[in-house]
Amino acid sequence: MDFRFGEKEEKLRQEIRKFAKEELPPGWLSTMLEEESEDEDWEFAMSIAKKLAERGWLTMSWPEEYGGKGASLWEQLVYSEEASYWGIPGVTMGVGGVDWVGPSLMMFGSEEQKKKYLPLIASGEPDGIWCTAYSEPNAGSDFAKIQTRAVREGDEYVINGQKIWTSAAHRAKWCWIAVKTDPDATKPHKGISVFIVDMKSKGITVRPLINYVGHHIFNEVFFDDLRVPAANLVGKENNGWYQLMHALGFERGSIAGRCYGYNKRILDELIEYTRERGLFREREIRHKLADVAIELETQKVLAYETIWKMSKGASPIYEPSRDKVFNDHILERLAMLGTEILGCYSQIDPLSRNCKWTKLNGHMESLFWLFLGYAIAAGTDEVEMNIVGQFGLKLPKSY
Amino acid sequence: MDFDFSEDQTMIIDSARKFLEKECPKDKVRKLKEDEKGYDPETWGKMAEMGWMGLILPEEYEGIGMEFFDLTLLMEEMGRNILPAPFFHTVALCSLPILEYGTSEKKRNILPKIACGEEIWTLALTEPSASYEPSGIGIHAISSEEDYVLEGTKLFVPFANVADHLLVVARTSQQENPQEGITVLIVDAGSPGIKTEVIPTTANDKQCEVVFDKVRVPKDNVLGEVGKGWDIVEFILQRASVLKSAEMLGGAQFVLEMANSYAKERVQFDKPIGSFQAIQHKLAGVFIDVEGLRRLVYEAAWHISTGLPSRLLTSMAKAKANEVYKRTCIEGIKVHGAIGFTEELDLGLYYRRTKAFEFALGGTGFHRERVAVELEGYDPLFLRR
Repeated sequence: MDFRFGEKEEKLRQEIRKFAKEELPPGWLSTMLEEESEDEDWEFAMSIAKKLAERGWLTMSWPEEYGGKGASLWEQLVYSEEASYWGIPGVTMGVGGVDWVGPSLMMFGSEEQKKKYLPLIASGEPDGIWCTAYSEPNAGSDFAKIQTRAVREGDEYVINGQKIWTSAAHRAKWCWIAVKTDPDATKPHKGISVFIVDMKSKGITVRPLINYVGHHIFNEVFFDDLRVPAANLVGKENNGWYQLMHALGFERGSIAGRCYGYNKRILDELIEYTRERGLFREREIRHKLADVAIELETQKVLAYETIWKMSKGASPIYEPSRDKVFNDHILERLAMLGTEILGCYSQIDPLSRNCKWTKLNGHMESLFWLFLGYAIAAGTDEVEMNIVGQFGLKLPKSY
Repeated sequence: MDFDFSEDQTMIIDSARKFLEKECPKDKVRKLKEDEKGYDPETWGKMAEMGWMGLILPEEYEGIGMEFFDLTLLMEEMGRNILPAPFFHTVALCSLPILEYGTSEKKRNILPKIACGEEIWTLALTEPSASYEPSGIGIHAISSEEDYVLEGTKLFVPFANVADHLLVVARTSQQENPQEGITVLIVDAGSPGIKTEVIPTTANDKQCEVVFDKVRVPKDNVLGEVGKGWDIVEFILQRASVLKSAEMLGGAQFVLEMANSYAKERVQFDKPIGSFQAIQHKLAGVFIDVEGLRRLVYEAAWHISTGLPSRLLTSMAKAKANEVYKRTCIEGIKVHGAIGFTEELDLGLYYRRTKAFEFALGGTGFHRERVAVELEGYDPLFLRR
């Protein structure tokens, strides 16, 4: 048993802290919750992505031959944790570029695809930005029931259908899309394929979906006779489900650490604010802060446990779901407590973060209005609980 | 970062589990509820033979010289099997502070007897004030030429009914700061003037009222320094909180396993009830809690083992253990339905220990407050630019 990081990881930690101090404006608090929304935020995120790429951090988990550093899982964890704590933007290259598009291409992509797309992502240039189109109006949690069709015609596939909740579609150069190639397959998940789509192609319409706060994060994306070269099929036809499940393993390493780092920053901000305003006098506030701190420490060691299992060669099944449920629970508590501590100030619209009365850059308000989105995105808590029950406790499938 | 157990640690876990399942089946736990002593001396002897009481004492005191973390794992197994015995009290509450603060003579005289299972020790800390704060210590030890004279009542003193010796936390002088003027005395349980009465707790764990009526304690029997006893209490609190949390973790894990098996076996509406999301999500929630508690307890234990500051983590672990143990029992009973409400089901034995566990070494509020104190004095990373 050893809860210490190695020298290599500690050194990386210091380097990232130095980077954050040099590259981010004083008092910077992340806009990671909504960086796709405002042009100004997005441009800043892109400029940082470029700098991360120059240091080789952006895709550090990738093997060297593809523009990575072959970093260990523990180094990746430290990077995710610190990047989130300091609010370093631009770490993901849109939705999935770094976390699953790249790794999937390495495993299932053609040589040509690898040569074309991997350097783009690793470079941190806007041309390496991806969005990911899985969900559809009629296929959310029950994702295998997607209806968007791709039909082969000569050297092309023709795609028709609609995707929804597609984050960063309005910023992306490429789309990583899952479609039905065999609607008559014996089981729905056996007829799915993955394609690469150029977002500038004819036949794509992006319609913004504005969340109730007013952010433009996700979109509806319509495909009308979109023609995609057959060379853009990733891996084998009808093998998409298997490929996607396999690729999930890659993002697992980064997510829990990313969540912990972000939450820790919020807690630290709240502790400081509470101290400044003399609110530590109030027992209820003290104890709620203590309680969240306990949950955060628990989150940290659970995240480390997941990485530790992976570092031992295991492929965790239920742990990422466990960690996600736990993170959503913490986000909710931070949002409730943070706005309670801010009191009246928490009423200020987070879109007006330049208002002179806004506290903590409007970040607590953003969290309060956005935490529900997090609890729903990438698997609702209820779906994740099913996975924890089924694979963690070996209970019968409940849905 | 490495969460693997060493070979020795795996051996401790395996041998403890086997031993306890054989030596302490649930019908014996039930029988011991009615027992006057509250533990089985024969089992106690076997535990000593296995080296448990001296697990982390150095070899010069007849111990095995293992680490604090290893003791944590042993406590987890005891909690899993709810072993009724004065083990935690003798080892965690007494042998550890004696090892840390005792003179070499005291250590030579006392520790081998503990390691060999010859003596039972306990800590007399809490009083009718029922507080773990230094201000809660009201019992006086008045200094005379050769002795201290103890006068007052200690409450919820575990296993005082069978203890050979007590560590008594008493006030030897009145100071402005309640932390000062406290002294820990080593008291022979057979001293004239001590009256012990068992309190009828739900856990049947032999917590006692101990009345000291002009009990004379030789001056030589001070543990550590006169007036600096609260440091020793803090030392005990941190270690014992983690060990108690580990015991609770073991119990919670077993309750979860019971409820989970039942959810797979019990059929209603032609399906195992565990296939219903209402039941499954309850169990999944408890599972996440227990897994989190496990890592938190291990982290705190590792901090102590390694000699790192541990005040924050130990209180985090105990606060979490208090809540998780309670919730696990409650949800476990709900999953069982009506049978969960009966004496026959072992789960009740675990549930009956909830309050004893929760208030041993401080309730959730007490530990939250300790965490809050640490947070208040904490220097956030983002400001260290």
